[in-house]
Amino acid sequence: MVPADQQSLILETVGLRKRFGGVLAVNGVDLSVPPGDIRAIIGPNGAGKTTLFNLITGDLAHDTGRIRFEGEEVSGLQPHQLCRRGMGRTFQITSIFRRLTALENVQTALIAHHRRHFNLLARAGRLYRDDAAGLLDRVGLLEQARKPSGILAHGDQRRLELAIALAGAPRLLLLDEPTAGMAPRERHEIMALVARIAADTGLTIVFTEHDMDVVFAVARRITVLHQGSVLADGPPAAVRANADVQRVYLGQRAAP
Amino acid sequence: MRPSRWLGLLAVVLALAPFALPPFFLQLLTEIAIVGLFATAFNLLMGFGGMVSFGHAAYFALGAYAPALLVKRAGLPMLLALPAAPLVAAAGALFFGFFIVRLSHTYFAMLSLAFAQIVFTVIFKWKALTGGDDGLLDVWPPALLKSPAAYYYFTLAIVALSLAALHAIVASPFGYALRSVRENPRRARFIGINVRRHQLVAFVISGAFSGVAGGLFAFYNGSVFPDFAYFTKSFEPLVVALLGGVQSFFGPLTGAFGFKILEWLVSRQWPVYWPLFLGIIVVLVIVVLPQGFVGLAGGRRLWSRLTSKA
Repeated sequence: MVPADQQSLILETVGLRKRFGGVLAVNGVDLSVPPGDIRAIIGPNGAGKTTLFNLITGDLAHDTGRIRFEGEEVSGLQPHQLCRRGMGRTFQITSIFRRLTALENVQTALIAHHRRHFNLLARAGRLYRDDAAGLLDRVGLLEQARKPSGILAHGDQRRLELAIALAGAPRLLLLDEPTAGMAPRERHEIMALVARIAADTGLTIVFTEHDMDVVFAVARRITVLHQGSVLADGPPAAVRANADVQRVYLGQRAAP
Repeated sequence: MRPSRWLGLLAVVLALAPFALPPFFLQLLTEIAIVGLFATAFNLLMGFGGMVSFGHAAYFALGAYAPALLVKRAGLPMLLALPAAPLVAAAGALFFGFFIVRLSHTYFAMLSLAFAQIVFTVIFKWKALTGGDDGLLDVWPPALLKSPAAYYYFTLAIVALSLAALHAIVASPFGYALRSVRENPRRARFIGINVRRHQLVAFVISGAFSGVAGGLFAFYNGSVFPDFAYFTKSFEPLVVALLGGVQSFFGPLTGAFGFKILEWLVSRQWPVYWPLFLGIIVVLVIVVLPQGFVGLAGGRRLWSRLTSKA
């Protein structure tokens, strides 16, 4: 049975461990994310952030430990099953359907979300057009709706991936470096957008990010990973003040 | 002209063909329709699903042998036997596809080829049932459909219905999701699509329509032979689809037309050299016309490609 104080968590990992050959990429990670949180997971390159994401989303199988989503054990579920349960994600390397138009990208995600993707008879081009356009509008891409998504600018492709993920109406959204490859101003724009959507819909966000300005601007709570383990966990001010964190990670930049 | 107008015009020309053409050309057109359907079914996987099968002869052959056996061994009339073609081919595609879609790219292609060789071997060796190397002879349609013109109309009707169904499938929610699987399986999983199951359903649909082509060919040919399942037959829809253009729904049909007409023109003069011509044509299409014959529709782009120095 799940203890009462854990029932309210949307995501929880306990002692999560993953070994690649001789490398312990994730070494006993405990993570507790309450609903409505905007959680940043930070850490130097190789700290295990992306591996942790891939374990949570079912892209990789963990060796030991537990993952609970909305109080239920979800270890061993496939990505598409987790997605249907209300988990969404974006990838570190932009992951869209490049030869489909932006609108078709989101329409396809909506078709899958409404479980109509085995329908052989309907005309897909007419399905969920308004909903898809609404989502594109939300991320600022309505003007680009008819373009093949592969020719969009890098930042627009990342916005499109956000719209695809939102089409699944997730309650938990995992963003793996959502601002990778963007200019500083655009980074703040897109994270402000994410925070606004989270506030409007009650969506819980877990994201990784290298830009500390962005992290401290939007995160409610920060988890610091180092060599596969949790080094610190707490509100931004506490993490910033943490001596261990300053030593291994923020050190150079946090110095006055 | 809009595509629907072109289709209407094509339908009128094809409907009038028996009044203008001698039986030989009606037979050629019948073959083109059958090969066109086979290649279009194949291209549901290649062009829209991103899966290259090297073993589609298996489903063509299952579709040819199933009704032929029902006619020869159970004495059924053709029209009752023919529905077995898509059913048996689909069952074969479901069984083999279950394993094949677990692999990707080269391994997908090689396993599909291996299963097709198994089908070939079974047909070849099981003499008591299939007649082995001698095949099954005298598999003819009923008297009403026996003339070249009648069988031409019959084939045209079945092929048109099949193509309409495939066209609807490509534009359906299933087709959209299939394209998303082609573009990015990892992303497709994370919009909630069970990628393997989707690929398997596509494989079964493709196999079923390949079976329809096989069944039509059996009664056109009047006989069936083990080499319907041989690997050289598996490359026919691949070459035809590449020639016509895999990006377009009507590419494979266009390819079948070009392929068969060229084959006839060349073989009539220099029968030995047809493979050499085919090789040269395939190379030319890949280098000059990566979108296949349908790329000719954008004629100016072709011209600039040929004349550009870059």
